[in-house]
Amino acid sequence: MASTGARLRPGRFLPPDPRAKTPYRLTPQMVFRIGILGFLVLVAFAILFFRLWALQVLSGTQHLQAAENNQLRTLRIEAARGPIRDRSGRVLVDNAAATAIRVYPSDLPDNGAYGELKRLAQILHVPLADITKQIEEHKGDPVTPVTVKEDATDAEVQFLTERNAEFPGVAVEDIFIRRYRFGDLAPQLLGHVGEISEEQLKGQRVYRSGDRIGQGGVEAAFDKFLRGQTGLARLRVDSLGRPTSEPLTDADPIPGHGLKLTLDAKLQRAAQAALVYGIDLAIDEGNWNANAGAIVALDPSDGAIRAMASYPTFDPEVFVEPGKRKQLQLLLNQENAERSNYPALNRATSGLYPPGSTFKPVTALAAMQEHILAPYDSIQCTGEVTLFKQRFDNWNPFVNEPMTLPTALAESCDTYFYELGKRFYSLPPERGQPLQRWATTFGFGQPTGLDAGSEGSGLMPTFKWKKDTFTAEIDRIWKPGDSIQLAIGQKDLQVTPLQMARFYALVANGGKLVTPHVVQAVQQGNARSSGPAGPLTLRRFSPPPQEIAVDKGALDAVREGLYQATHATNGTSSTIFGHFPVPIAGKTGTAERVIDVGDYSTLMDSSWWCGYGPAQAAELVVCAVIENGGFGGEAAAPAALRVFESYFGKQAGLVQTAEAD
Amino acid sequence: MVDYVATQRMPTRVRARARDSSLLRNLDWVLLATVVGLVGYGLWAIAGITKLDVAGDPDFYVKRQATYALLGSIGLILAVLIDPQLYRRHSRIVYGVLIAMLLLVPVIGVEVRNTRRWIELGSFQFQPSEFGKLLVILFLAAFLADRGKRVAEGRTVLAATGLAFVPMVLVFLQPDLGTAVVYAAALWATLFIAGTRWVHLSALLGVAALAAVVVLWAAPAAGVQVLADYQHDRLTGFLNPSENPQGSTYNITQSTTAVGAGGLDGRGVSGATQTNLNYLPEHHTDFVFASLAEQRGFFGASILLLLYLLLIWRAIKVITYATDAYTATVAGGIAFVFLTQIFINVGMTIGMAPITGIPLPFVSSGGSSMVVNLSAIGVLQAICVRRR
Repeated sequence: MASTGARLRPGRFLPPDPRAKTPYRLTPQMVFRIGILGFLVLVAFAILFFRLWALQVLSGTQHLQAAENNQLRTLRIEAARGPIRDRSGRVLVDNAAATAIRVYPSDLPDNGAYGELKRLAQILHVPLADITKQIEEHKGDPVTPVTVKEDATDAEVQFLTERNAEFPGVAVEDIFIRRYRFGDLAPQLLGHVGEISEEQLKGQRVYRSGDRIGQGGVEAAFDKFLRGQTGLARLRVDSLGRPTSEPLTDADPIPGHGLKLTLDAKLQRAAQAALVYGIDLAIDEGNWNANAGAIVALDPSDGAIRAMASYPTFDPEVFVEPGKRKQLQLLLNQENAERSNYPALNRATSGLYPPGSTFKPVTALAAMQEHILAPYDSIQCTGEVTLFKQRFDNWNPFVNEPMTLPTALAESCDTYFYELGKRFYSLPPERGQPLQRWATTFGFGQPTGLDAGSEGSGLMPTFKWKKDTFTAEIDRIWKPGDSIQLAIGQKDLQVTPLQMARFYALVANGGKLVTPHVVQAVQQGNARSSGPAGPLTLRRFSPPPQEIAVDKGALDAVREGLYQATHATNGTSSTIFGHFPVPIAGKTGTAERVIDVGDYSTLMDSSWWCGYGPAQAAELVVCAVIENGGFGGEAAAPAALRVFESYFGKQAGLVQTAEAD
Repeated sequence: MVDYVATQRMPTRVRARARDSSLLRNLDWVLLATVVGLVGYGLWAIAGITKLDVAGDPDFYVKRQATYALLGSIGLILAVLIDPQLYRRHSRIVYGVLIAMLLLVPVIGVEVRNTRRWIELGSFQFQPSEFGKLLVILFLAAFLADRGKRVAEGRTVLAATGLAFVPMVLVFLQPDLGTAVVYAAALWATLFIAGTRWVHLSALLGVAALAAVVVLWAAPAAGVQVLADYQHDRLTGFLNPSENPQGSTYNITQSTTAVGAGGLDGRGVSGATQTNLNYLPEHHTDFVFASLAEQRGFFGASILLLLYLLLIWRAIKVITYATDAYTATVAGGIAFVFLTQIFINVGMTIGMAPITGIPLPFVSSGGSSMVVNLSAIGVLQAICVRRR
């Protein structure tokens, strides 16, 4: 238009300047292309809008969920574990607040995780191999944190907190650790707290991976009361797994309940000392291999355990104190444990020993119940006896006199009881196996039903047992020797010290078979919540004793024998208990056991003593055994005396050990 | 009537004033308002997105971005005042500056995360490839307009492609694949508006598609790696985002999660956990749209997209104001390059396009991008005001 206008302009007759460019115009082609461009724009924006709509409005909830999950980590807040008190309320075990350093394997950086862990190991003074091994073990479960150190120092915590950016995946968390107020008091009985193992996780729904639970003893058996309820919290973390907020609590942890034990801390301490004393005595007297033992003290009226000592022992702090980790290996590693003679084993409940002469009252009671023995009839006690063409020796070769039951018990005459064994063997077959039957009635050959910790059943040799156990035809037959040896608690019979104590309780209480127990009550909450009257009791445990139909006269005869054993001139432990102000009754035992000593095996004597006091109205039964300790009067009896001394608060004065069974 | 007015001879000074007043009168006020709206909206978005990024100074990025916007406004005003014909006359200088800048980058550039894209000028980091976007358009438009009717010849298309290829390769080597793609878009758009034949345009698209297939699939299959592994993974990752959510598709997963979590009306500044807890990488630059969508929701994101739509519509309208093929091509190129950048950037945050480092115009935090985009608007306005 402009050019036509120019052409029409007056005074311009010349043709258009050839240098002038072709005038630009919006050609239809151009309009079409602009249209296409516009169409492209509309399509592009339509795509974006639809996709945005789909993402944000149609599936917004899903993505919101994903975003929430992205940044929230669920934390389990460990509840404070309940305290454990002794019978008079003394706190044996409670908690201390500690700071744990944990590693969340899933949050470790892909590159540089090794370097980070190496630095962490240096800072915490923990071997790097320990950390990597733990992480390796948790490979299948990278969400559960691995505890690197349970008791980090303030300096370590501060260092890591200040540099948390340099340690992605490392968390500092408040936890509780067990505090053992009485040090190494009854560690085998109390148990400890430790992280749940793979095997323990299987087939249960209560615990979760990474939980710290009671392991062994009271801690394990009463875990459901002690552990309380784990709290739940959510923690905001950033993309590198670093916390960006304080944990938001969903459910507060509920502290666990306390336990009141029947144990007496003072008596327990005394029993542990007595055990060491007994072993020292045995070694002094030439029993060089005396190296282990157990003492059980219980209340004969209801089976409440007052003390339960086992030696060798350990310091439970090894499970808590990082500096003592090495010693932990003595307990957990099979080879090391063997070298240190299994300190974690509770010999009082799981140690299996032939009971020797401490079993004689069982034989006596069974014989009287079966009417094959009249207690005040005399049987000749000799240095040796030949029965069924076989010679059986008395422990004392110089004796030759007629004895009634009390005297035979007092002097522990073997030949008297060989005779009873013979009588049992000679009973007609339809009478069965009355000695074994009575022994089983008295609780042998089966667990006692102790409420905490594992327990041995012992071994009650019967016809069937022999037949099932042995392969050689000659071994499968019940022979006279089996009955005769059983009568004095030798050969195949095996008992635990706890079973033995339970039987002596039955003798002392007049025929009631008690259920040994160590926990008497569950108490409300933590120590702090206790009122002036002490913590509220939620639940009480007092398993009722089982009444056994035992003839009173028979029991009296046995009790008479046990009293003479500690007081008569020739009583096997009269030199030990004779001058003690409180009348004690009890029986020594010397049981032969096959012991591996280095390269060869030999027979060695386990030293036993079981008894109770005061003799007429018993308050306490004590059973002591010292492995390879020689005669019962040499080691076990003096050790048991120490326990009575502590219990009654009286000294025995001059005590002489006796080389007497 | 028009003739009547035009035939009046006016004194020179009066004419100059008239031109000035026509400058203001002919300005595309809608376009200007849209851009002001975009910059303002972008600043508001950045304020929310970067609130927690610099401890102790929640406004650090907003203040910086506002400074860039001021600098960009100066660029815009200058661009309006300069007659675009000047660039056409000196198109060789334009091309020379472009190539020189890009060549300088590998020499004196700063390395950031294995890429060299920036040149440090005092405390200001300057990104030549961003300025290159505008320069490429200006140069190619001039080159094609100078060819007049020969635009339709295959030789011209080949020559233009060859000339555009040099800066593309230089940028690709930085490495900055996204910007190279933008240059390619600029080439295609300028050819398209300048009037290249459909056959040639289709052939060019075909070659591009073939190149993509070769680079992404055929060559790796044959054992030749053109792209670094991470580049390859990012480009193909959006096709299958659940493949490796902790690795190569981490960004795409977190980004779509952030956008989706925003919902209809957003999670707000403090509730936007994907942004605040750094799950969303580069949330104030490349992934700024995802952050905006998380914080402000579908409504907030839609407002931005609508502003962009308005911007591009006005830019296309400027093509019709053009007085010659040159300015028309420039306007078309600018409009299409904006479209490309917006589509690729927004598309990648919502899982529709491969992940490439392209900033979102007027919103992504960054000085070079802001200055060059505002200057491009200035060029559009310059074309607009010089219409008849």
